[in-house]
Amino acid sequence: MSATQSVNRATNPGNAGGESAANRRLAVPAIIWVALLTVPVWFPWLGGYNLLATRALTLGLAAMGLNLLLGTSGALSFGQAAFFGLGGYAAGETLMHLAPSTPLAILMGIVVGGLAAGLLGPIAVRLRGIYFSMITIAFGQAFYFIVVNWNGFTGGEDGLLGFNRQPIDLGNFALKLDSVQYYYLVLLCFAVVAGLIALLLRSPLGHAFIAVRENERRLNFLGVGARNLLWIAFTLSGMIGGLAGALYALLNNFISPAALHWTLSGDFVMMCVLGGMRSFWGPLLGAIVYVLAENFLSSYTDNWMTALGIMFILIVLFFPKGLLGMLRTQVKS
Amino acid sequence: MTDRKTSDSDGFGSTGRGGITRRDFLKAGATVAAAQTLGLGSPSAWAAGDAVRIGVLNPSTGTYAELGRNQTRGAEMAAAEINARGGVLGRKLDLIVTDTASKTGLAVSKAHQLVKQHGAHFLQGTVSSAVSEAIEQASREMGVLFVDSGGHATPVTGKQCTWSTFRVCTTTYMLAAGIAETLMQKYGKRWYFLTPNYAFGLTEQAAFERILKAHGGTVLGAALAPLGTTDFSAYLIQAQAAKPDCLIILQAGDDLVHALTQVNQFGLQKKFGVAGGMMELEVLQALPAAARVGDWSFEWWWDQPNVPEVKSFVERYRKRNGGKYPTARSWFGYVATHAIAQAADEAKSLDSVKVSRALAGLTLPVDVGLQPAKLQFRASDHQLMSGIFAGGVKAGGHYPDLFQVEKYEPGASIAQSATEKGCHMTYPS
Repeated sequence: MSATQSVNRATNPGNAGGESAANRRLAVPAIIWVALLTVPVWFPWLGGYNLLATRALTLGLAAMGLNLLLGTSGALSFGQAAFFGLGGYAAGETLMHLAPSTPLAILMGIVVGGLAAGLLGPIAVRLRGIYFSMITIAFGQAFYFIVVNWNGFTGGEDGLLGFNRQPIDLGNFALKLDSVQYYYLVLLCFAVVAGLIALLLRSPLGHAFIAVRENERRLNFLGVGARNLLWIAFTLSGMIGGLAGALYALLNNFISPAALHWTLSGDFVMMCVLGGMRSFWGPLLGAIVYVLAENFLSSYTDNWMTALGIMFILIVLFFPKGLLGMLRTQVKS
Repeated sequence: MTDRKTSDSDGFGSTGRGGITRRDFLKAGATVAAAQTLGLGSPSAWAAGDAVRIGVLNPSTGTYAELGRNQTRGAEMAAAEINARGGVLGRKLDLIVTDTASKTGLAVSKAHQLVKQHGAHFLQGTVSSAVSEAIEQASREMGVLFVDSGGHATPVTGKQCTWSTFRVCTTTYMLAAGIAETLMQKYGKRWYFLTPNYAFGLTEQAAFERILKAHGGTVLGAALAPLGTTDFSAYLIQAQAAKPDCLIILQAGDDLVHALTQVNQFGLQKKFGVAGGMMELEVLQALPAAARVGDWSFEWWWDQPNVPEVKSFVERYRKRNGGKYPTARSWFGYVATHAIAQAADEAKSLDSVKVSRALAGLTLPVDVGLQPAKLQFRASDHQLMSGIFAGGVKAGGHYPDLFQVEKYEPGASIAQSATEKGCHMTYPS
């Protein structure tokens, strides 16, 4: 997990400590991975169920993708749900019309999400700040209305029905993809993406992303095109969004236009900020907190949105680095 | 659609129904959970672990909140009655109510939560058609019986039909068929449609058109408005220009409130007939008095002089709910809970497959059916043969006396057959 270490170093300069600090930085990711790997054992015992854990992981994956723009490159995108939803529809349509193959459906999700982001990126990256946010909302809503109005192909407002994730044939034995196996499939995808993001952030390209956030003008003076960098980040973020959307569609065996709506993009931003958008694990933590709050609070009160909203305000006001930033400060002091 | 095995093969006993230790842990751990338990905690003769549990998936936030709450009120009343006369299979009936906010993803997650975490034996509820269709699929995967109380899309008991899903409310086709002929006689055969652009509206329009054309009528046009439209003026100008005999409005919920308010502002009801498929007491109540116009179908109406059981039902319901009158939604929830309980008693089992077999073809007693005709869950597609109350809005009426029923159309005479809808019912062997 040395990759994560260097991310911490990159995002928190001056935090380099002694040997014990280094051990701690190794220990944290180890604990996280062990916890994630053993979810089907301890989570039901705490009152959860596998579908909920898988849902949190899927949304966390989309939020991590968004964070490549938001936390790393400093561009606030409200369009992540567009790529998430497109990936979901791509997976569903693949299973229904192309071939009954789960891996192909997931692959199509990545391709369609990445393609949409790659094509729209050049337009979006010309803008900065609020204008960037506005145009990403516009992209998202455009896809939303296409899906809603294209009744014949997408099922319109009612969503796309009639596909099922298919067992994966591994030669001499087949994965049925029941709830536990599907959790591990999602975890595998998550681990691959998390690993790649960690490698990316350690690479020169990742450092350049951070430079876009920190001082774009200087970067341009140095002869590095910030627009191209943002375009790459936008496309990668779209690919990850598409992957997460495909996994989400296969999780529910259902996808509806709500998965493309800008309010879901807002939820993704909220997850990043809640967990801590400057930390590697922040978006995942934010997604876990969000999904658990949504699920459990709404069983007890109709005003669960209020509770979630208050929590969000408190965190933004008092812990601008998010939950993870808060925890880190606690540990240090 | 291939049938997949239920996903309880995850091998962790605590996800099953007998998760006492986990439940105890939860109660001890989460103070909120404890508060909730105390809130429900009227002393009862039954042990808590013995209860028969129905998970209720209704929206109590979002666009359909009021409709969802009324379905829950009906279900709660049914549960109270069932418990007062001895429960289900001699065990207490517990409802576990949860909010879906009409979001499909959240609703599917909640369905799993109800079954795996709370140990619900059966599921009921939903208002939005999209949520019904998603829960239909999720409940089949879990092998759990689901009674769709209020999602109307035809595929639920049509192309998507499955052994584990039953439906109380009518299909979109029945909503149209219940009133179409009355409208042709009253206003004429040249119609213009104002249709919400999603499956509920589109299939209902198709049903109206089919009946109209079969009687030699003409479709002058249709304005498709997205779900959640608040400004209908552009569509209403088109409708006015077409000079129809009758404007058929197929919106529901808040959309219908907005459409009718603007119909009244344009004074369209004085120029041609205004009518539609589904009207609800909640909508009429929300409208300003002047905008309460038109001819509509109701799926259930509280004032049925020829069915004495209805009067007693209305009185009991009002007593429980601070004087509110029951709506069609209250009745949906009421029927769903009673039907599940009755089927479980007949099957002498809580096994979803056995209860499903008992519910298929089951006839509701009059004090549950609460309609002039005897109501049966048709075995071929699991659709309740519920009737349509067609009639007109009462001019100058006051809540709840806002509608005059002119004709009752029994469900069996207007429903499409299972084959027409494309339903092939199969049970797990």
